Amino acid sequence: MSRTAPTTSRRAFLRGGLAVGAVSALSSCAYIPDDAPAVAPLPRSAKAKVDGDLGYFNWADYLDPSVLKGFQKEYGVKIIESNFDSMEGMYAKIAAGNQYDIVFPIAKWVVKMRREGRLRAIDHEQLDNADQVFYSGSYFNDPWYDPGSRVSVPFTVYKTGIGWRTDKIGSMTGSWRDLWNIEGAGRIFTLDDQDEALAMAALLLGYDVNTAKPSHLDEMRKLLVSQKKYLRAYSSDDINNMTSGDAWIHHMWSGDFLYMREGLAKNKATFDFEAPEEGAPINSDTYAIPANARHPGTAMLFIDYLLRPENAVKNINYLYYPFPVRDAVGAFQDLAKEVPACDVDVADLENPDVFRLLDPAAVQRRTATWTEVKAS
Amino acid sequence: MATDVRTSPVRPARARRRSSQRTTLWAMLLALPTAWMAVFFVASMVIVVLLAFGTTQRDGSPVFGTNLGNFTALWDEVYLRLFLRSVVYALATVVLSAMVAYPVAYAIALHGGRYKNALIAAIVVPFFASYLIRMYAWKALLSDDGLVNSGIRRAGLGDGLTFLNTPWAVIGGLVYGFVVFMILPVYASLERMDVSLIEAGKDLYHSPWRTFFSVTLPATRAGLYGGMVLVFLPALGDFVSAQLLGGSRTFMIGNLIQQQFIGGQNWPLGSAMTVAMMVALGILMFGYLRATATPARET
Repeated sequence: MSRTAPTTSRRAFLRGGLAVGAVSALSSCAYIPDDAPAVAPLPRSAKAKVDGDLGYFNWADYLDPSVLKGFQKEYGVKIIESNFDSMEGMYAKIAAGNQYDIVFPIAKWVVKMRREGRLRAIDHEQLDNADQVFYSGSYFNDPWYDPGSRVSVPFTVYKTGIGWRTDKIGSMTGSWRDLWNIEGAGRIFTLDDQDEALAMAALLLGYDVNTAKPSHLDEMRKLLVSQKKYLRAYSSDDINNMTSGDAWIHHMWSGDFLYMREGLAKNKATFDFEAPEEGAPINSDTYAIPANARHPGTAMLFIDYLLRPENAVKNINYLYYPFPVRDAVGAFQDLAKEVPACDVDVADLENPDVFRLLDPAAVQRRTATWTEVKAS
Repeated sequence: MATDVRTSPVRPARARRRSSQRTTLWAMLLALPTAWMAVFFVASMVIVVLLAFGTTQRDGSPVFGTNLGNFTALWDEVYLRLFLRSVVYALATVVLSAMVAYPVAYAIALHGGRYKNALIAAIVVPFFASYLIRMYAWKALLSDDGLVNSGIRRAGLGDGLTFLNTPWAVIGGLVYGFVVFMILPVYASLERMDVSLIEAGKDLYHSPWRTFFSVTLPATRAGLYGGMVLVFLPALGDFVSAQLLGGSRTFMIGNLIQQQFIGGQNWPLGSAMTVAMMVALGILMFGYLRATATPARET
């Protein structure tokens, strides 16, 4: 790959919550109570035809630029790119009425936005390549976050596990307990991400990754605090922490690990990844068309373009995240052949360890727990 | 304007007319910034204050209210500890910044000669680069396999230092981020100082140290105090340094507030934290102004 690798990871860096932008979204929300219907009707699907330039709203650097260029050339439209640096920031902008034609929400945000009627239906009949993801028997015909895949198309799927340095650490057990490994004391990182950190503790204790029960949270807090003496920091900059030698054991996202190992590392053999036996959280990114999109037709074409296997392959080779595009799956398996734990298969998708949309009171209880962990 | 009136006593009428024209001009010039501040600064502060009494509704969006719970929730050992930790970091940042800034400003102001402006520019220009980018550069420099540690190992001076993810890294990042706010006011007050005072001090006290502490330092006190406030305030509320350079025990109040807004879906609580911090800082500032008002007038 000829990319002049930006050593910062695309999503981890941003997702870590350097979300200066998201704070600026403060002014954009409705502060007056609003009793919207619980389930809004689904805005109708658009026809796949060019109806203007594409307003594109994604994490920064989260698609191969050559694919974006190719789309502009083929359809003679411009892509006007905007970026978000957290899901909260993304949501706040859309809720404030900003118009984009295509947006990339994480699974649980699809639940929220679909419920609120903020996403347009996507008619699979309009997509020439729909059978690449919606073939018969595909998990994505009816994913947990979007029944019937009415408003979203799967983009990437990934899991959370543990990456480590094989030249420094000899004893890994395949459990989340490895984040307490004495051999790595002072060189262990936990993701600076409320959901991921709490999920890791919940899985170790045998609880649901979304638990918000006070007694569970209390145990999880104690468990996470007990990790502190081995911990160097909470950080979502997993790629940099590994390549800089600061981390020997890192709680990390599978796609970031693969990019770090295959795309950046000087000595690949010194890095390995495991998806712990207690369970590994699975997450999916999707693309969707906001209800207020000005050019939903172009967005439909864009989705179709991304589903073309050759474009999916380009994106896989750029991002190192698996795409559930049927004829591109082989390309990912090639990338991950030395670390198969990074791959996500159907059994993984059907596992219950996904981050669900919780009500605010539950989120706030979880935040309070996470705050106490970080502040102690 | 006042001097204008005084220096043209012969034709006071015309001077007055010019003066009133200027007042209008000033008023017009001030209208835009005033409107700007009112709309974007004051109004957003008002929203923060109102939201501090609000709640989060079921769909996750914050709503205004009359709820005091956010403030009572602040009276928690965890938050107080974070606040104290942040104050300690910010004070350490101020002290270190003063130790760096004063000699730099002194050298430039008194020994910079015709390169003064170039030297000041050389200090200011790097600050045009985003704070975030500079923090990342520090990471590259100071990580375990970074340039500094590789250098140490290559020179055979040991195994290198673990610097990143320590309190010192956070404070170092804060100093690096904000030291320029100390250099500039100290430089300005040294620039304004009459150099013959130092010469007189040397005649009087002989020792350069005594001259410095009895003459130079008091004469530049106002600039130094100003710089201290300018460094202390942003350092106290900062979250970038702790997030990028910090470890598992360096969480600061700024990180806490940020967490309420991003992952925590609790804007009202975050707002209450912000308001409480503004009140605390307001009291500190008031005390500072009272304490420095008299000495500043003397100089």
